[in-house]
Amino acid sequence: MNQRNNFFLVLGILVLAFLLSAPHIVPLFLNTFWVNILTEILIWSLLAASINLLFGYTGLLSFGQALFFGMGAYGVAFGLSVFGMSFWPAFLLGIVTATVTAAITGIFAVRLTLSYFTIITVVFSLIFYLFAVGRKDITNGDDGMAFQIPPVFKIGNWQPTLLDITFQYYFVLTIVAALYLLLWTVMRSPLGYAFIAVRENDKRASLIGISPYRVRYYSFLLAGMLAGVAGVLFALFSRYTTAQYMFWTVSGEGVVWVVVGGTGTLFGPALGTALLIILREELSVHWEHFLILVGIIVIITVTFAPSGLMGMLDRWSTRRRAPKQPTEARLGSTTSRTARS
Amino acid sequence: MSTPVLKLKGLTRSFGGLIAVNNVDFELPGGSLHAIIGPNGAGKTTLFNLISGMLASDRGAIYLYDREITGLAPYRISQLGIARTLQIKSVFDRLSVFDNVWIAAHSRARFLNPLKPARSYHATAERVDRILSDVGLTDLRNENAGNLSYGDVALLEMAIALATDPVLLLLDEPVAGMSHVETERMVAKIKALKKSVNIILVEHDMETVFNVAERITVMTNGSILTEGVPDQIAKDVRVQEAYLGQPEEV
Repeated sequence: MNQRNNFFLVLGILVLAFLLSAPHIVPLFLNTFWVNILTEILIWSLLAASINLLFGYTGLLSFGQALFFGMGAYGVAFGLSVFGMSFWPAFLLGIVTATVTAAITGIFAVRLTLSYFTIITVVFSLIFYLFAVGRKDITNGDDGMAFQIPPVFKIGNWQPTLLDITFQYYFVLTIVAALYLLLWTVMRSPLGYAFIAVRENDKRASLIGISPYRVRYYSFLLAGMLAGVAGVLFALFSRYTTAQYMFWTVSGEGVVWVVVGGTGTLFGPALGTALLIILREELSVHWEHFLILVGIIVIITVTFAPSGLMGMLDRWSTRRRAPKQPTEARLGSTTSRTARS
Repeated sequence: MSTPVLKLKGLTRSFGGLIAVNNVDFELPGGSLHAIIGPNGAGKTTLFNLISGMLASDRGAIYLYDREITGLAPYRISQLGIARTLQIKSVFDRLSVFDNVWIAAHSRARFLNPLKPARSYHATAERVDRILSDVGLTDLRNENAGNLSYGDVALLEMAIALATDPVLLLLDEPVAGMSHVETERMVAKIKALKKSVNIILVEHDMETVFNVAERITVMTNGSILTEGVPDQIAKDVRVQEAYLGQPEEV
């Protein structure tokens, strides 16, 4: 147990140190655009977190989270370009739009479970997608909406905007970190326990007084909000939004990241997102059919490591040092290993 | 005469052409352990499913004390004080024994605070540990429920049910599939429990039933055949016929 915790503590500190210093370190070795790729990874990891909250923690596989991503993106785009809002009101409008959409669609969606739930999430996202594509007069459809971004805040003469790559990176990192902290807090709380209870055994959960419907609804709402923030950030990052963001293949890509990274773990989805986006950036330039490789990775993962990269790391961290401290390690980790199998 | 703990009036449920529970009237006065026996297909588990809200009835009414609970969702019925175990044992396999019981103990809370750590509810944790020690699972506290032996899972399911602080406990075949030792342990547990909570027991194991029950109701083909104290039931010719009609059951 302890060596495992130590391993993840060290890993966590390294990752945190890297994330905090990335805009200064990365340009030393790589092209500066990698800072933007990191920013993009952080943003998409929120969409992955949203999918993981539903799938990994609550047992609901959604192929429609792009809907809330898209609503967030449109919300902030409308706020900035149509309503002429300043930065934070538009930011908030995006989140509210996404969350309200989740609140309404959730009423119907979480009545269903299993594949029925998956299908209805695709249907909802298609309805909104087709509407966004069809009503060009409102949404500009496939062409999308480009917009200007105002400063994030003003302190005297300092008016940082997201046009500054480094500032943009730290801005996104702060928001994403805050939401991961929120997710971590929720998963340790009674509500988080209820999510897992419903995932594990909804019949038993209802027999002890937990309403599976209500618990799934809360999860759906929170997941919609997370995806919405991701959409807001991505629209700001691209200075642009399009109906394409709502398409179900965007959700599908998110599901792939989650599955590869490790469902039901806090950071697995972010790891999957990072790996597959880096792969895309490196390979798509040289090989247009690189998705074949992604497909192969997914097949290998679900077949040989159903708990994803995070599950592999977890097992590796407990196994690696066992021979060095034979008695203590074995005594200490027997329970944790059996408990985790 | 005080209000019965549980009252069923004309309760009926059919599946297609089969009437699984047929116009059942039943009263549980409380303060005693009541067993329901009957051959396979008599409708005992269906009756439990109706009481706990897992199935909707076609006709009839269910009362817990004065309150009608007919048609309520299972989680509402649990909140009102009916807990049950299932014939096919059902726990949260991938959670620890402690967390299994903790979730049940905390499910009485009206609000699931999303920002307060579950570990900080010390009173709940103490209660969970007390329940675990009562059913004898303290040693397995941190073990995953999925790793428990069959007998221990049955005890855990009982602990989960008790953690919801029920006024009425429905036990569905608690000793089915258990070894002799496990059965003895469970019977001792049930005997201790019946002092503090009203219990209805569905069980095939006659030795267990006659060992723990104060009253016995016999069901056949969805209806109540007779009801009485164990001695009466043992001598009842109709009961013997009901069982001999399906000799593989005895």
